[in-house]
Amino acid sequence: MPPVFDAGKCDGCGICDLHCPIDVIAIDEERRLAFARYSEECWHCGSCRQDCPTGAVDIVFPKKMLLV
Amino acid sequence: MGSAEQMGSVIETDVLIVGGGLAGLNAAIAAAEHGVSVVIMDKGGIARSGAMGGGIDHFTAYLETGEEWDTREAYLQNLGKVARGAVDLKVHNAIYCRELKGSIERLARIGNPLTQPDGTFYRTRSMGRDGPLSINFNGKKLKPRLADEVRRLGVRALEKVMTTSLLTRDGQVIGAMGFSIRTGDLHVVHAKATVLSTGRVDRLFETPTGIPFNTWQCPSDTGGAQAMAFRAGAALANMEYVLVSVVPKGFSAAGLNGLTGMGARLVNALGEEYMIRYHPHGSRAPRFKLAEGALTEIREGRGPIYVDCRHLSPAELEHLNMTLGYDKDTLPDFVRQKGIDLAKDPLELQVSEGAIGGPTGGLGSGIMIDERSAATVPGLFAGGDCTDQAGTCAPSVTSGYAAGKQAAKYASTVSSKKEIDWEQAAAERARVLAPMETKPGVHYREIEDVVQKIMWQGVGPARNELGLRKAIEKLDSVEPHLGDIGARDYHELMRANETRDLVLIGKIMASCALYRKESRFGAAHFRVDYPKTDDENWLGLVAARRNGEQIETSLKRLSYEMPEP
Ligand SMILES: Cc1cc2nc3c(=O)[nH]c(=O)nc-3n(C[C@H](O)[C@H](O)[C@H](O)COP(=O)(O)OP(=O)(O)OC[C@H]3O[C@@H](n4cnc5c(N)ncnc54)[C@H](O)[C@@H]3O)c2cc1C
Ligand code: SF4
Ligand code: SF4
Repeated sequence: MPPVFDAGKCDGCGICDLHCPIDVIAIDEERRLAFARYSEECWHCGSCRQDCPTGAVDIVFPKKMLLV
Repeated sequence: MGSAEQMGSVIETDVLIVGGGLAGLNAAIAAAEHGVSVVIMDKGGIARSGAMGGGIDHFTAYLETGEEWDTREAYLQNLGKVARGAVDLKVHNAIYCRELKGSIERLARIGNPLTQPDGTFYRTRSMGRDGPLSINFNGKKLKPRLADEVRRLGVRALEKVMTTSLLTRDGQVIGAMGFSIRTGDLHVVHAKATVLSTGRVDRLFETPTGIPFNTWQCPSDTGGAQAMAFRAGAALANMEYVLVSVVPKGFSAAGLNGLTGMGARLVNALGEEYMIRYHPHGSRAPRFKLAEGALTEIREGRGPIYVDCRHLSPAELEHLNMTLGYDKDTLPDFVRQKGIDLAKDPLELQVSEGAIGGPTGGLGSGIMIDERSAATVPGLFAGGDCTDQAGTCAPSVTSGYAAGKQAAKYASTVSSKKEIDWEQAAAERARVLAPMETKPGVHYREIEDVVQKIMWQGVGPARNELGLRKAIEKLDSVEPHLGDIGARDYHELMRANETRDLVLIGKIMASCALYRKESRFGAAHFRVDYPKTDDENWLGLVAARRNGEQIETSLKRLSYEMPEP
């Protein structure tokens, strides 16, 4: 389920977390990495991807949405 | 007994804005420009929160270019026709027409103009309008630009703070309270005037994909303003109408307007442009007609339905591909990941879940406002989709600005605020935080799923008396179970409080739909037992007010004279 974070690019800056309108994202402070804490609540709006300064976010639609 | 100390931080301000979405940020700008202090509370971060945070692509406006369809009078005349029985032209004139020119200028000034790079307006005709009244534009940066302007003006934003309750004293609204969805800290905001702008009501109906957050409109907008205003005694209107749209199969996303605006056709399994049978504007009919058409085609066995772009010219297709993501940022990704090429393949559609968000474009559902953007309770103002008289992009911008201006004016007349009723605040705090103490407790989804099923089955696009009564009964029996919901963190506490609001809103919607014994706006309010529109008895707004624990409904009649500019 989206969003997918690229651990090699994400520096844990927290912008995606602040900007997510649904509060899906959290930052793992130890690993300095964003993750989808409530991934089942993602609205697929793409704001996390739009505002990520390092291009670390990919939106991948779940099969349940693509295949019906 | 409650006291200030127990309550965490108390913030003093002239104007409080609850909901920093499109309307709320425009309200904040207006109030700050008026020279008063302003605080915003928002569940999210104001740069991207709300329905159009990720982008938006059309703004409805008349521009007085000399064409006969391009005037205030023609616009209102059309709205008086398509929204007859729901629009109060005097109010809409005050909160939209009077603010339109200034709003278009403001958006240009803050850095997200509605014009193309060459300075012209790209205008298309869409959904139910008489002329090309839709300005297509790139609104991907609109929300962040508004947030920048709000901060530049010195407005304080409390972000990731859910507002749960209005504070009242002697029948007057004196601010609101809420909690941080991250830390649980309580925030009490003591204000001279309060503006509500939390948008539509989503997550009230079961979704076709079974994914509850796969909604066409914003699943964070769950009727907070409508619920808190109702609890504080304010009247709500236009609450009976269910808003359904036609969306890509599998992805409940906005953006279809952009396709049909460019000339794409809605076709059924027989290849017919079926909308011609339902409305003279065909594929560009008003949204409630599109929903009615799609529901009927599918029910009568002529589905699946598609949007077909194959006949568009290469130039039109190029424009379409460039702008497809302006509205819903991820729509191009979805189309691509599905393996569709719009130049070659029609895209399958489905009827979306329901929401409450106005019977038709330009209007909303919720707090009944007057020409001064005021609710029926003193100290309370509202703008945007959570009001009965404004909805969608342009009216949210203008009505938000109008509400902020009126709230600031009102605040300037208040010399000293009434004191906070700490007992009331303590009771609210206990109520709001209760799910944190419920252990183990059921997950909010378990209750919300039930609510969504009850609503879709009994209060959806086809309704009758028994079904509506049963829905109310069932919602009544859900109510005691709200106390079973447990929250493991403050994010879940937000969800638990949203579910509670949804039960109340669902009952209000069903009660208004039961009261209106006629049909109006196609699928938005179709009473199988009263299938005709009956202007003689029902030309007006159904108002819902609280009377103790009861929901009281009444009709406010409307007439259709042209208001003064
Ligand atoms: C993807 C998409 C594209 C759209 N495109 C168009 C378009 O091109 N043209 C058009 O006319 N319309 C469009 N719309 C509709 C338009 O975006 C809305 O009508 C408009 O945003 C309404 O403004 P609003 O301020 O009333 O609500 P919103 O902008 O949704 O703002 C509501 C705010 O309230 C906050 N909030 C909610 N509850 C609470 C609470 N309890 N406490 C604190 N904060 C709360 C939310 O976080 C949010 O920030 C689109 C909608 C979507 C979803
Ligand atoms: S915005 Fe990008 S870099 Fe920053 S935390 Fe999110 S994914 Fe990581
Ligand atoms: S796509 Fe939208 S809802 Fe999903 S995590 Fe990103 S910002 Fe949040």
